[in-house]
Amino acid sequence: MSNYVELLLEKIEAKNPDHAVKLRKNLDGMDNTYFEMAERFYSKYDAYMQRSGKSLDFGVDCYLKLCADMTDERIKFMATGKYSSTSFDEVEKRVYGNTDTMTYHMHGLVLGQFLWFEQYERIKFFCDRIRYYAGDKAGKYLEIGGGHGLYMMEAVNTIPGYAQFDLVDISESSFQLAKGVINNSMVNYYLKNIFEFTEVDKYDFVTMGEVLEHVEEPLMLLKKIAQLISNNGRAYITTPVNSPMIDHIYLFKHEQEIRDLFLEAGLEILEERVVISEKIPESRARKYKAPVMFAAFVKSITQ
Amino acid sequence: MNTLEKLNEIFIEELENPAIKLTEATTANDIEEWDSLAHIQLVFTIEKAFNIRFTNQEITSFKSVGELVKSIDNKVNNG
Repeated sequence: MSNYVELLLEKIEAKNPDHAVKLRKNLDGMDNTYFEMAERFYSKYDAYMQRSGKSLDFGVDCYLKLCADMTDERIKFMATGKYSSTSFDEVEKRVYGNTDTMTYHMHGLVLGQFLWFEQYERIKFFCDRIRYYAGDKAGKYLEIGGGHGLYMMEAVNTIPGYAQFDLVDISESSFQLAKGVINNSMVNYYLKNIFEFTEVDKYDFVTMGEVLEHVEEPLMLLKKIAQLISNNGRAYITTPVNSPMIDHIYLFKHEQEIRDLFLEAGLEILEERVVISEKIPESRARKYKAPVMFAAFVKSITQ
Repeated sequence: MNTLEKLNEIFIEELENPAIKLTEATTANDIEEWDSLAHIQLVFTIEKAFNIRFTNQEITSFKSVGELVKSIDNKVNNG
């Protein structure tokens, strides 16, 4: 097992044994690629934490707070059938504008990238296929909502021929975390709203992971992506189904709703991956509204 | 029918496993279908069946069927 994965599991086990049991069960049988990628990402995160005067223990505490929030949100979701926040302003006050909450939320998500197997499936699908869809050219790459830096980090490694890597994020906390983890001067960083983003007209490849669920009108964002991708350009877009979190606003109840929205925005799905976040049969996942990871490579229908 | 027997019926129906035989010592580790997702739905069904309400903290704190039985009986008996 990767040193970092094992180390994190041991630290989690010491504070929440039940959760560690669940994680170990879900991660049982993961392949070598998983451990190599996890080691690469967590070592970058650890290095960033050390530069910031923090430790992995801080990250583990953040992760467990995030998990507690997720349980609370799931109870509310199962009781009401809705996400608890319905507007961006509400989330701004509750999460984005609250430094403490935003900090533990973001650091918790960093650890979740390889502790949650569906998140690994999301990054693996990206890494396995981006070279095919991005092409072997000196292209321009954009990531919207850099989160924790994992996707940009892997893009720089996987399509090194690309001439330009841009990352735009609306959140200062997320922006700083991504910048710190990526720690690569090849990447240009823009702290702004994508709708105000005018640095360049078109990109050969656009990545937007786990952003649609954070906005009130995901259709507008998808249309923006359709405008941003060049002729023969491609995009990788992911968003979850039935995934209550403190900063999620837009609820997709089924992956078909996502496919329909892509089509409405003028985006054609070229290849998709759907992964249930628990290792349970699909019938049980539907019954309990288990979170589902949806990821797709798309192109503009007008191409 | 006592609380444990009534709970057993709820578990069988909700988890779709007729082989379930609860004791006060039973935990989620003993029943494959009793995962964190099912747990929340189970508790909602229990609330309806016994006409009681649990707080979020209570929902996440039950470690065994015995603790669940004790909590249900307390709520039912104390109105």
